[in-house]
Amino acid sequence: MSFRKIDVDAYDEDILQEIELYTPDPRNPAQVLSETKQKQVAVRTSLNKGDTIGALNIALDSPPYGPNVEEAKNLTLQTVVSVLNTTKSTDIPNVVKSLSQDEQDTFMKFIYKGMGMPGWGDVSGSVLFGWHEKVSSGTGCIVRVMTDRRTM
Amino acid sequence: MSVPEVYSIAQTPVTCHAFNADRSQVALSLNDNKAYIYVKQGKEWVVEETLTEHDKVITSIDWAPNSNRIVTASTGSQCLHPLTGRLVWKPTLVLLRVNRAATFVRWSPNEDKFAVGSGARAIAVCSFDPENNWWVAKQLKKPIRSTVLSVDWHPNNVLLAAGSADMKARVFSAYIKDVDKRPVPTVWGEKLPFNTVCGEYASPAGGWVHAVGFSPSGDVLAFASHDSSINIVYPGGPVIHSIRISTLPYVTLAWTAEDSIVAAGHDCQPVVFSGSEAGWALVGTLDDTTSGGAKSTARAGTMGKLSSSAFNTFRNADTRGHTGGAEVAADTELLTVHKNTITSVRPYEVGRDGTVSRVSTSGVDGKLVIWDVGVVSVGGVTGRLGGMRM
Repeated sequence: MSFRKIDVDAYDEDILQEIELYTPDPRNPAQVLSETKQKQVAVRTSLNKGDTIGALNIALDSPPYGPNVEEAKNLTLQTVVSVLNTTKSTDIPNVVKSLSQDEQDTFMKFIYKGMGMPGWGDVSGSVLFGWHEKVSSGTGCIVRVMTDRRTM
Repeated sequence: MSVPEVYSIAQTPVTCHAFNADRSQVALSLNDNKAYIYVKQGKEWVVEETLTEHDKVITSIDWAPNSNRIVTASTGSQCLHPLTGRLVWKPTLVLLRVNRAATFVRWSPNEDKFAVGSGARAIAVCSFDPENNWWVAKQLKKPIRSTVLSVDWHPNNVLLAAGSADMKARVFSAYIKDVDKRPVPTVWGEKLPFNTVCGEYASPAGGWVHAVGFSPSGDVLAFASHDSSINIVYPGGPVIHSIRISTLPYVTLAWTAEDSIVAAGHDCQPVVFSGSEAGWALVGTLDDTTSGGAKSTARAGTMGKLSSSAFNTFRNADTRGHTGGAEVAADTELLTVHKNTITSVRPYEVGRDGTVSRVSTSGVDGKLVIWDVGVVSVGGVTGRLGGMRM
């Protein structure tokens, strides 16, 4: 009866690995973590100066993705959320306009990541929904969040 | 000519369609194991014959225009190849030697080979063996890592583009020794034995590659992937232009000229892209949704809709419980011609200079529509669907 507990996929030599479906992050996990911590400091400085656009650009630049970088990913989420919470709702359209296509897609991924962790850290659902509405120019952005294997 | 010709074929999805050379007949499948051949009688399409050799759902059909042969592929991992002899369709079974479903099939330009994509992570390239009077399959396997979703032949009859669920679009050489003459070198390479990979491309955000297509000259490759993007590849650099769109992904595309593509998919309307090596951009849609209300009475095949807003308001209040104004009706009803995903777009009418002037589309709503490529309306795309809220 133990055959039921055998993991058949482990014996399949030609099985499709998740890692084959996207280009993995070339940096190693420790390096990613230290970069993320530095970015957090830089973002805090920008926010203190009142530069939300600059802060968001720093936070969204080369985000960690893939396996083994869970802490860095959560830290980046916290950084992004801190920017979102401190932005006035009237400024939101300007900030969104300043983001490039790539940054918008990355930003959407963080919004969805935040929505999946309600109550964690400073995550506030209403703030996220406000940003979500402004960033999504149609469904393409959302489809890309779901399709992209470089998970935040 | 500029209003799309709409034919409601059935209440079930039209999974695939293929016209014959003079467009008097169309072979299509209605999401079951039968292929139907329809013939045009007046303004309607009428079933002339039913081909029932497959025992599983048919996934793809192609009709070779010059030799008048049809090839059909089904999930039962076989291909069927009816030949015409005296108005009778005679089926020939082709064993692909794959142990998974066949997903997509296309005749080569010279109609002496056809390529079948399958779920077995391989493409079977079949050629006719006159000695034994059957079709023999050779498989392209490496480095495909998942189901092949679509294939397209290069005009030189040797190169084959394939889009796969492993997020990559590739160009292979499908050179078969006794069938093909040595091909002239192209931008994709020279001296290409069978199964050489001439290029492998992916969209930045990944996503299954639903559709691939070579341009009419064969020098440019376009592919549409599930991350709502369409990518055009010039192999010289390689230069890849990736257009991210703000609507749902496309599942099928067709080149209409060297600088223009029609793509269609989950947002139910065919869309035109145009460009060159310098860059590509969305031009507009073939479906003029902004004046959908007024035009619907003029279109052949659709039921006349009273388009007055007062009528709509009361009808919505009655049937759907909406008491809002005409805005509410617009939100829930699709104003496009196709009311569901478009499954396939194919060139219908080709002008003397090789550019396509009309394309045909089939959709999950059971409709077959013929569009005039020249009628492009800007703003129709993002206007209606950009405002779509989840």
